[in-house]
Amino acid sequence: MKKTKFFVILLVGLFLVACSSGERDGVTVEDVWGRSAPMSASNAAFYMTINNAGQEQDSLVAASISICDVTELHMSSIDDNGVMSMRQVQQIDVPAGETKNLEPGGLHIMCIGRQADLNPGDSIPISLSFARAGEIAAEANIKEP
Amino acid sequence: MPSDLETSTMQKNSPGSGRRLVVLAIGGALLGLLAGWLTIQFVTGNWRIGAYEYHGIVLPTPESVTDFTLMTHAGEEVRLSDFREQLVVLYFGYTYCPDVCPATLSTLSLAMDELTPSEKEQIQVLMVTVDPERDSPEVLADFLAHFDPTFLGLTGTDQEIAAATRAFGVFYQKGPGSAASGYLVDHTATVSVVDRAGQLRLLFPFGTSSDDIAADLKNLLDEKQSASQPAT
Repeated sequence: MKKTKFFVILLVGLFLVACSSGERDGVTVEDVWGRSAPMSASNAAFYMTINNAGQEQDSLVAASISICDVTELHMSSIDDNGVMSMRQVQQIDVPAGETKNLEPGGLHIMCIGRQADLNPGDSIPISLSFARAGEIAAEANIKEP
Repeated sequence: MPSDLETSTMQKNSPGSGRRLVVLAIGGALLGLLAGWLTIQFVTGNWRIGAYEYHGIVLPTPESVTDFTLMTHAGEEVRLSDFREQLVVLYFGYTYCPDVCPATLSTLSLAMDELTPSEKEQIQVLMVTVDPERDSPEVLADFLAHFDPTFLGLTGTDQEIAAATRAFGVFYQKGPGSAASGYLVDHTATVSVVDRAGQLRLLFPFGTSSDDIAADLKNLLDEKQSASQPAT
């Protein structure tokens, strides 16, 4: 009886470790960051590097951040005349064996209706939903403005 | 016996050649230091051959910017020409913009950090909102203070903002957003620099580094100072 309990706890523990490692089916997320911002800036952007070491293409389809009313995937683009436009995208594809950078002036996770200050050094939990790899938990490091 | 002679000469001079070696070594070390110092000066842009090459886009012929009136985030009416004592570094943006606008302001703030206090005093960074509907003076003040307390936000009526964008050839237009984000604003993301003669001189496209911006601004300040000095 005691032995069974021990194994159950061990299994749950192993499961939790597997979940928190941030790696599933070859998709890893690194260097997750955001810029510190005052409350007057209602929205915020989060950036990261997504590696897909797997054999199949995967797609980031959603993200969730508890301090944001709504979290969307967005892409900024700048045309030849220097005009910036930002639009929502439905998903961010990461082909097999490739790396996708979410960075300023390009793809980013848009936090709409931010409910908390973002101060340098803060760590903000982000949950990322991938079409194949499922949920990946990450922590965004908040940098100086 | 020339060979014998040579040998004896060499033997005679051997203590002297040791001294010469020391002199040579010291000379070599000094030359090395000089070369290193010159390289550092060159790489850091303190010393260069010929004219300074701007990192930003230099306007082939500086254009006079049509003056305009807007309101500062402190509620004061200002004209662009009120900043004639300073270099004006001007950006059109909005606080709802989470990506390109904060990135640009961050770069400008880092560039300003690279300047001396006296250089900084000779430069005014302005952000004109392209979203006056949502960017109240209070929001602009709080937003800009986060990047640099000397940055000044400008707003106005739709007509006043349109006039300011026309003066810089800047495009802006409401674009579709989601139900959550509300409308977004497409806008020219280029930073413009107006010199103390009120002329548009330099453009920094999005992505220009803070180092490059700081170096260009320093050079523009130097240039104007020497140009404005009376001929002796």
